[in-house]
Amino acid sequence: MPDQVVAASSLCVKLAQNDVIDNLNFTIGRGEVFALLGGNGAGKSTTLKTFLGAVSPSSGTASVMGLSVDADINTIRSKVAYLPESVMLYGHLTGIENIEYFLSLAGIKQAQPEIEEALTKVSLQTDAWHKNLSHYSKGMRQKTAIALALLREAPVLLLDEPTSGLDPRAIDEFNQLITTLANSGSTIFMVTHDVYGACQVAHRIGLLDKGKIVGMFERKNNAHIDIEEVHAAFSQGKIK
Amino acid sequence: MIRFSDFSRETIFLSRQPYVLIFLMIVLALSIFSVWSGIAETQAQQNTIESLLEKDNVDRAQALEKQSSYGSAAYYSFHLTYFPPSPLAFAAMGQRDIYPWKHRIRMLALEGQIYETDADNPELSFLGRFDFAFLISVLMPLFIILLLHDIRSSEREAGRFDLLIVTARNQHTLWTARALVLSIALMLVLLLPLFVGAAIMQASLSKTVLMALITLAHLLFWGAITITVGKLMAMRGQSSPRIASALLALWLTLAVIVPVVSDTAINKTVKSPNGGDLLLLQRETVNDAWDLPFSDTWDAFLSKHPDWAEHTQMESSFEWKWYYAFQQVGDQKTEDLSNAYRNAIAKKDTAAGVVAFFSPPMMTQRLMTSLADTDITASLGYEQRVRDFHQSLRYFYYPLLFNKSEFNLQVMDDLPRFLP
Repeated sequence: MPDQVVAASSLCVKLAQNDVIDNLNFTIGRGEVFALLGGNGAGKSTTLKTFLGAVSPSSGTASVMGLSVDADINTIRSKVAYLPESVMLYGHLTGIENIEYFLSLAGIKQAQPEIEEALTKVSLQTDAWHKNLSHYSKGMRQKTAIALALLREAPVLLLDEPTSGLDPRAIDEFNQLITTLANSGSTIFMVTHDVYGACQVAHRIGLLDKGKIVGMFERKNNAHIDIEEVHAAFSQGKIK
Repeated sequence: MIRFSDFSRETIFLSRQPYVLIFLMIVLALSIFSVWSGIAETQAQQNTIESLLEKDNVDRAQALEKQSSYGSAAYYSFHLTYFPPSPLAFAAMGQRDIYPWKHRIRMLALEGQIYETDADNPELSFLGRFDFAFLISVLMPLFIILLLHDIRSSEREAGRFDLLIVTARNQHTLWTARALVLSIALMLVLLLPLFVGAAIMQASLSKTVLMALITLAHLLFWGAITITVGKLMAMRGQSSPRIASALLALWLTLAVIVPVVSDTAINKTVKSPNGGDLLLLQRETVNDAWDLPFSDTWDAFLSKHPDWAEHTQMESSFEWKWYYAFQQVGDQKTEDLSNAYRNAIAKKDTAAGVVAFFSPPMMTQRLMTSLADTDITASLGYEQRVRDFHQSLRYFYYPLLFNKSEFNLQVMDDLPRFLP
């Protein structure tokens, strides 16, 4: 496995003739949590969607595990688990049925005990497992999607505003889970505007503004990134 | 490449969607109703024919018993001609709603008899019959549009699209499997009643399968259109209602506007004599004959039947041979108009066949009525059989009338019989 699991090189994306991503360069290594932090319209979700193949680069390259999104998107998708900002699964199916359906889509057959184990790992209460998703809160849907990501055993996780709308306890549980996954070798690329959350889990944080990285922060001596330093970057106008 | 697992996954998935199941149940109910109403109408027509056939022989025998001349025998004896519905007519009633399929024919002038039909409520006729052909040609495209138009866009609107395409081993397999399962389910609920109906009516298996293939071809056409338009519009960010609107506009154009406009254009372009003029001319010719010199009738009659030239002398002011001669002259006078009238029907039908290439619903209906022997060709074929039968009556009676044969009831055993 290459050291650079996720990489953007001179990446530019134009949407409706506007430069949404402008000459973006970064790499994410194996077992690393990289957070792209920015305000609304900074280009965070567009960057993430470029790695999903949902948005095409206008120039430059976006690659996952050495494969270009332009040429090998199907292979990339088999190695990537994606957690959207607002997890919308099928309301008429139960949590377990949703997971079974999406796993089947990915061509993966998992036994019920493994699914239950994953749901336990993400702390989804057992009485909800067999309830239809239409009865789930946002946090419960988020946990179901994370369980799905775990079961897919994808080496790369792409997370879009993963803690948006979650209560503080759920955020803590989520952050612990991300740390555990990274420790087990998963590469995690998340985009967020949650400064606190990013500082808690990320090894590095890129500050994105108008499609450009305007600042980079990283852990020193295995300590969390200094939230005050990052917050200052926001408040000093680097990030709007 | 779609695997069986893709197919079974989507089958289980869609079987859990209540609205899909309700929708399919409604379509099944409509299909059952269309087949049931077709069978009911076909059986009613068949029963009418059978009951008329029973009475036909009895009535004629009773009428003939009272006669003392061949002229009066021809005048008072009616002959049932009929066009029985084919076993597959229940699925496509076609022209049987418009053209007559039974007559009581006498040896009088034919044109006045051949267009005689039972009067139906014109408003009900305007609505058309809800038969299987109507269901497949006009309504099925709507079912397909409703089921398939938002396969992609609904997932995008629900916020699942990115998760689905990232998770799916192959996103094309996902959409294709989903569309296939829905289409096959739709085909099953549409075709099951057809096959049951065909078994009840003892229709030929090959023709029933052909009708199913026509249904399949029509479904594939609309399925391909719906999926292609849905995909292209969804890629441009168009919403499901917009996609549905575009597809409904296309349906309206192909299923309603093209047939209606082409029908108007064909009727304007292909000149046809007025049916009323035809009947009026024939009636006037027959009625006027009473006041014309005998020679006028004989001259006209002998132009077609010169072999009876030596038998036209009249011994009284009324003779049956003269009476039937001017009846025939009535038909002769209208022959050109009648031919033009039928040619115009055939021409219009040919033109409609060309237009049908631009309207798959129209083409579907035409193919189904052709298969069920309920199209214009079949109706004109029946009309020709009636004309031939009427001609055979004349050929039977003329020697008896012109040779002044003594009436013998046993001779009437050789009366021509109509064969459907």
